[in-house]
Amino acid sequence: MSNALVFCSFDAGRDGIPAGAEEVLTLARKIAAARGVDLDWLVVGAKPAAVDEIAARHGVAHVDQIDDAKLAEASPDLLVAALAGYVSQHSPGLLMMTQTFDARLIAPRLAGRVGAGVVMNVVDLEDTGGGVKATSTAYGGDTRVEYDIAGAAVVGVVADPLLPEPASSSSSPESRSVAVDLGGVDERIQVVQKASTEGPRLEDAQIIVAGGRGLQESENYALVERLAEALGGMAGASRPIVDDGWTDTAHQVGLTGKITRPVLYLAAGISGASQHMVGCTAAKTLVAINTDPDAAIFKYAQYGIVGDCLEVLPALTKAVKGG
Amino acid sequence: MRIVICVKEVLDPDAVDNYVLHGKLEIGDDGKTLTQTSIPRLMNAYDEQAIEAALRFRDNGVECTLDVVCVGADPTAILRQAAAMGADEITTVPVENGSVDGHAVAKILAAYVQSKGGADLILCGRQASDDDQGVVPALLGELLDMPVLTIARDVQLEGDRVRVTRVTPEGDEIVEASCPAIVTISNELGTPRYPTTMRTMKARRLQPDQATLESLSLSADDVRPVVAMSKQYVSSVQGNCEFIDGATADDQASALIAKLRAERVIE
Ligand SMILES: Cc1cc2nc3c(=O)[nH]c(=O)nc-3n(C[C@H](O)[C@H](O)[C@H](O)COP(=O)(O)OP(=O)(O)OC[C@H]3O[C@@H](n4cnc5c(N)ncnc54)[C@H](O)[C@@H]3O)c2cc1C
Repeated sequence: MSNALVFCSFDAGRDGIPAGAEEVLTLARKIAAARGVDLDWLVVGAKPAAVDEIAARHGVAHVDQIDDAKLAEASPDLLVAALAGYVSQHSPGLLMMTQTFDARLIAPRLAGRVGAGVVMNVVDLEDTGGGVKATSTAYGGDTRVEYDIAGAAVVGVVADPLLPEPASSSSSPESRSVAVDLGGVDERIQVVQKASTEGPRLEDAQIIVAGGRGLQESENYALVERLAEALGGMAGASRPIVDDGWTDTAHQVGLTGKITRPVLYLAAGISGASQHMVGCTAAKTLVAINTDPDAAIFKYAQYGIVGDCLEVLPALTKAVKGG
Repeated sequence: MRIVICVKEVLDPDAVDNYVLHGKLEIGDDGKTLTQTSIPRLMNAYDEQAIEAALRFRDNGVECTLDVVCVGADPTAILRQAAAMGADEITTVPVENGSVDGHAVAKILAAYVQSKGGADLILCGRQASDDDQGVVPALLGELLDMPVLTIARDVQLEGDRVRVTRVTPEGDEIVEASCPAIVTISNELGTPRYPTTMRTMKARRLQPDQATLESLSLSADDVRPVVAMSKQYVSSVQGNCEFIDGATADDQASALIAKLRAERVIE
């Protein structure tokens, strides 16, 4: 066991590479250096154009690709089988993934299949001489937990709190095509109706105005939407108001919603529960409007307005429009 | 149809959040266990919703036995709650708090399901609100060789097929698989029902069945954690909020917008 350290991507995403890949590669490089092993990048399915360039920037030794017509759709049984095939050929000591929606399922299934330990929500890693110590968030980010894994591990890394940093010297990664026999693998899950993305995604928004239970009534969510529109941004929401149907799930920010990293996040009538905050603390500037001066959200905010969001939101919209 | 629902007892996440907010969360001498006995122990909310998902099958006329199982120190209270909600069977597999990891829990649950002659459907919450790991259903799927359909807002049974509406970042996706299968339930499923007073009274006297590692033919080695928690601490939050004053909302708004413009956060 324990050869290379492998960063693995399969979630094609919009630009073909999962958001946060460079942050995870930066962390991966640290462990690979500590262990004195190669850092490799495994791409399952089609290889996005930018992979080689990004890999070079991060000192990746090999860009491996498993390409098989069956992998055109990122279906879990095929992905796990492909990854497990790779693991049995290359026996990586540590396999890292950006924690995308799909990785949430693929990482633990792969770990179960190949007999490795699995840890999700990882925000930092340290080599412990063959094993690894993973720091993860728990209680929605209220606490951090350190886990020790002695042997091989699969980890899902939350890229948002990390910073990307290129290697001191770039590499010329060698491309390798890896053959895994998927002939006998059938997908057990059939997609009846695909999810259809419409319009821009909250994850990509530069400006987000989000509302919470402090809006008091469903109709008042329009105040959030109006300010978002005036700022050329998007509207977000806390979970309770999504649960109550004031807006749809696509707008939910947080642990079980969207992890956003806008330039500006303006939270109105949101208390600042840890599970909400993990979805917005990567914002460059966080502004909070809350009637309660002791609300937790002010601990995270750069700017705060103690006041009624039903008054402050329209006033902000007016101020933005009025120049 | 036999439906197994896996539930976990957790510390009330809102209470933990509140203690953290006030800088009062206590961590024991072992450097990892949250020790405050004033924090209520609850059924993980997603697991409650998993029970609700199962009860809806019954509402819709599906004939099924609902078997709720919990691996934990003393989950009698949450199992009684499960019975009051409508579970037919409640079982505990006692283990010491903090002594098992997700891999061990999955092994215990797999052995439990096999000891019962299998299951047609296994429902779990999408993740537990204490460690947020969400790995047990996937590991269980590997051990039992079942497909795992995650993050469901709706689950329907049609013959031996299960149809799940998943909440994905790209919107709802509808998927299907043949039973036996594992489905993880998300909060979008909706509020779980509140047990009637009569059912709660009746459940109060119930003793959960007990399975043990021995009765499940598991050795101490089988359940030794692969992932060992060594430390837990409160995350630090940078608190440096500048409050924007003003006599009226309009004054505050103009002052804030002026600041954000000056810093080029907005145009
Ligand atoms: C496992 C788990 C996962 C979760 N995932 C998420 C998630 O992904 N996203 C998420 O958001 N939550 C999530 N939650 C829920 C989270 O813990 C909080 O309950 C939720 O974020 C609170 O939403 P809120 O701030 O809108 O409501 P509340 O906590 O009720 O806060 C309302 C706030 O509005 C203020 N207020 C009231 N009136 C006004 C007014 N007129 N003007 C201004 N302010 C006012 C109040 O002072 C208060 O601070 C999760 C919880 C758990 C346990």
